[in-house]
Amino acid sequence: MECLLAINDLHVGFRIFEGHLRVLNAVWLDVKEGERVGLVGETGCGKTTTVKSVLRVLPMPPARITGGQILYNGKDILKMTQRQMSMLRRHELTAIFQDPLQSLNPVFTIGTQLRDIVRDSAIGRGHRLTHREVESRCLEALRVTGMPDPERIMTNYPAQLSGGMRQRVCIAEALSTNARLMLADEPTTNLDVTIQDQILRKLDELVEEQGVSVVMITHSMGVVRDLTQRVNIMYAGTIIESGETRDLLESPQHPYTQGLMASVPKLTGEGISEGIPGRIPNYLDPPSGCRFHPRCERQMEICATSMPSLYTTAEGHRVACYLYGGTL
Amino acid sequence: MSKLPILTVDRLVKHFPTKAGLVRAVDDITFDVSTGDTLGLVGESGSGKTTTAQCVLGIYPPTSGRIVFEGAPIGVMFNRRNRELKRKIRIVFQDPGSSLNPKRTIKQILSVPLKVHGIGLKRERLTMMSRLLEMVELPATEYLYKYPQAIGGGEKQMVAIARALATNPRFIVLDEPTSALDVSVQGKIINLLMRLARELDLTYLFITHDLSLMRNVATQVAIMYLGKLCEIARTQEFFRTPLHPYTKMLLSSIPVVTDEEESLKPAKIVSKGEIPSPVNVPSGCSFHLRCPERMPICLESDPEMRVLDTGHLIRCHLYSP
Repeated sequence: MECLLAINDLHVGFRIFEGHLRVLNAVWLDVKEGERVGLVGETGCGKTTTVKSVLRVLPMPPARITGGQILYNGKDILKMTQRQMSMLRRHELTAIFQDPLQSLNPVFTIGTQLRDIVRDSAIGRGHRLTHREVESRCLEALRVTGMPDPERIMTNYPAQLSGGMRQRVCIAEALSTNARLMLADEPTTNLDVTIQDQILRKLDELVEEQGVSVVMITHSMGVVRDLTQRVNIMYAGTIIESGETRDLLESPQHPYTQGLMASVPKLTGEGISEGIPGRIPNYLDPPSGCRFHPRCERQMEICATSMPSLYTTAEGHRVACYLYGGTL
Repeated sequence: MSKLPILTVDRLVKHFPTKAGLVRAVDDITFDVSTGDTLGLVGESGSGKTTTAQCVLGIYPPTSGRIVFEGAPIGVMFNRRNRELKRKIRIVFQDPGSSLNPKRTIKQILSVPLKVHGIGLKRERLTMMSRLLEMVELPATEYLYKYPQAIGGGEKQMVAIARALATNPRFIVLDEPTSALDVSVQGKIINLLMRLARELDLTYLFITHDLSLMRNVATQVAIMYLGKLCEIARTQEFFRTPLHPYTKMLLSSIPVVTDEEESLKPAKIVSKGEIPSPVNVPSGCSFHLRCPERMPICLESDPEMRVLDTGHLIRCHLYSP
């Protein structure tokens, strides 16, 4: 199947006063039509930078894309003009961010914001909607996200809604553009588990219905397991392991993924592992070779000198680690 | 349970009058914590977990009800408590980034509780501080003169724990100590806390919203909803037979990572609705709006807490005689 989104060997850096932050370092990611892909990593590993690069909303400078391609439907996003890019953002890509208070404008009502999006995306497709059509589509969009009393919500300001409600509004906005690819950047991290469960189930249902492809960015392994077919694990700006979700969670291969899985507290109550010693490296001066090697229990000599590429260990399972390939 | 309770909270009520109405943050809760136990107080945001902890600490005086610590009532404001009591009850906050003063070195941060409580002689304090840092597994020579911004989130939390330990406390309130941290760091902090509890014979009130974490940490779990307790049980018992519909909803909402865990969750209960505002508490059982097993009686009368044979405490009409 044709890839809808393919990120090939992306490198992104930031030039700041102290020097050059080399944040993204070999990010490989592909999303097929209708597929749901997870991107998992800890705080500061570059998940959001990746999303922002795809949307081309990274502030440049200080950010600089130093290598690689982002292909959307075969066309390189990084080479598009501003105009092409804004058309793409309007009709093809959509995003949900972690904090809905930052993605909703506090001084306009939900209705004003939603109507704009609905009207605008219809114009982009060549029809001009009447007032009544806009209104009914907005209400419908809110209703499908499971919002009680959408008429009232339309007249509310974001501050009048609860966190879960705001996130539902964001989902309604994201889906009302009929986009083909949704980038969901930690959409439920700030929410309580019961609300998270509701939102994720709704999202799952709607995405399935509309056939939207999703990149789900999160740090929760559980969320990824519930929602995605394939998952990519990211560490310090590098994709270190990717594979089918169930398969990868059951038998993680990279030492980092193994450590991560062992530190997730489980309902079976077998205790919690010590976690992974050390912390994420400083991007000003990242470790040479494999960026994980200073924290790795199974490091070898080669790990400090050269960076492993992604080796295929099983059907669809790839690991960037010298334990699984490479010439020694 | 043969051990004596170190802390008893008896019919604690804390209401806040506001312009919008009376906020019933904590509404008549009763529980006790035995010496050496870890009570996991679990609930969604806005359920009153933190207010409960703050009443225990004396940050707020209770509206009514009693808090008894080691046999003496302590339900008064912080400034009316004696120093000895303040020494015995300590807290570790959620976000170490904001609970440690960024303009003070770790040595200065750790010296405050020692000075305030007059622990040790001036010349002994440096050794005491080094020992505190070693207790939380940080090499003292390396960390004493650093500022909080120079160390990672997990390390900051360890310093916060060291500060709590400085006065040789009996009881520590842990207010979501790991929810601001990544899972790979969380493990270390939790294991550290558990080791300290064993070695120093500490008792914890562990506030969290993470039930899977409580499975591994707590000896007793209490579920709170809208200022009231729904269910309290020993951890084993609690996870083997969760009874309250809200507990079941919480458990079935947890995203888990293995099939084995999936099989431990109660049958899927579709989570619906949100926690209502504590200003307008629903009539009868406050959970009835979201409850999948609602009965007519739930709308009218609020169930009483009942003790089942297994030592399970539950507040639900389903289990009324």
